[in-house]
Amino acid sequence: MTDISKLDIDNLTYAEFEEHIPDFFAAYEGHVSTNPRFAKFLAANPDCAALFRDFEEIASAAKALFDRTEEPSDSVWDKIRKGMNTPAIDTPAIDTPEASPASRTI
Amino acid sequence: MRERDKVTNERMTPTTQESSLINLQATPIAEAKPNPALFKRNPPIAGEAEAIEAAKNGDAEAFSKLYALHKRRVYTLCLRMLGNVSEAEDMTQDAFLHLFRKIGSFRGESAFSTWLHRLTVNLVLMHLRKKGLNLVSLEETINPSEEDAPKRDFGAKDLQLTGSIDRVALERAVASLPPGYRMVFVLHDVEGFEHNEIATMLECSTGNSKSQLHKARLKLRDLLRNPEPVSQPASLKEAAR
Repeated sequence: MTDISKLDIDNLTYAEFEEHIPDFFAAYEGHVSTNPRFAKFLAANPDCAALFRDFEEIASAAKALFDRTEEPSDSVWDKIRKGMNTPAIDTPAIDTPEASPASRTI
Repeated sequence: MRERDKVTNERMTPTTQESSLINLQATPIAEAKPNPALFKRNPPIAGEAEAIEAAKNGDAEAFSKLYALHKRRVYTLCLRMLGNVSEAEDMTQDAFLHLFRKIGSFRGESAFSTWLHRLTVNLVLMHLRKKGLNLVSLEETINPSEEDAPKRDFGAKDLQLTGSIDRVALERAVASLPPGYRMVFVLHDVEGFEHNEIATMLECSTGNSKSQLHKARLKLRDLLRNPEPVSQPASLKEAAR
């Protein structure tokens, strides 16, 4: 895996730069368009700069979705209540996050 | 900065829930080390701790309170991951029934909502596997067909999205993403999971998670700039109301 901190960004080709975009976004937590490290490249590649800004806009709008929640229909609770009174016959093979690690096979 | 709680260093370690869904041979425990930045956005809820304790003792009324407190978050997560109201309601039901049976194993080492959230994600992933979305082989299954794949060009700058994305448009665009893209996008950009955690859950490499997220954003950019007229799932129209 390429160490992006060692990349000479200014001298990357367009294709090389594009290859690293996922890593750039991950490394800089989505704040790329205003990062001085990319300033020269982005100034020379305005379409790429636009892409970065769009990605940042999408990521920002996506974060805002977290707090926008929807209401399930009332029938969901009715079914849960019925299920609570029914012994579990076929519990899925899944445990809760803090369950005993005894059954883990790491 | 998202609203987050202060309990996150207690984040659950990878346990049996994860181990039932991930390839542990390929996923050493060290990869899933606690991430202080994750899930700090679940502030304590008044009365929740008491309800949890009572529910552990089988108090159905207390459990109904927990349902009331968390149903929206759980349902919305299911809806976004599945893109379908009916399936999302079924998974919400499954998640709470699972919770009802397993709440005794909640030890309070993480925020309850974080714990429930993780449980829900894992149930949804298990459901998707049962449906045939084989996440084990991510390359084969998460990559959409050529026609669904995003364009690889950077696009024209005069079609920038900046300042123009509204929630409904984004919800619709997310819902119309191919399932693999949608999952990574929802887990990372909406729910706040880190790439290493997504990689663990989906049994893929961190690089693959980054790459899928990149493709998802490219596809979303296409969709937001060129919205598909009435092609979004009816379920999302319902959800967006």
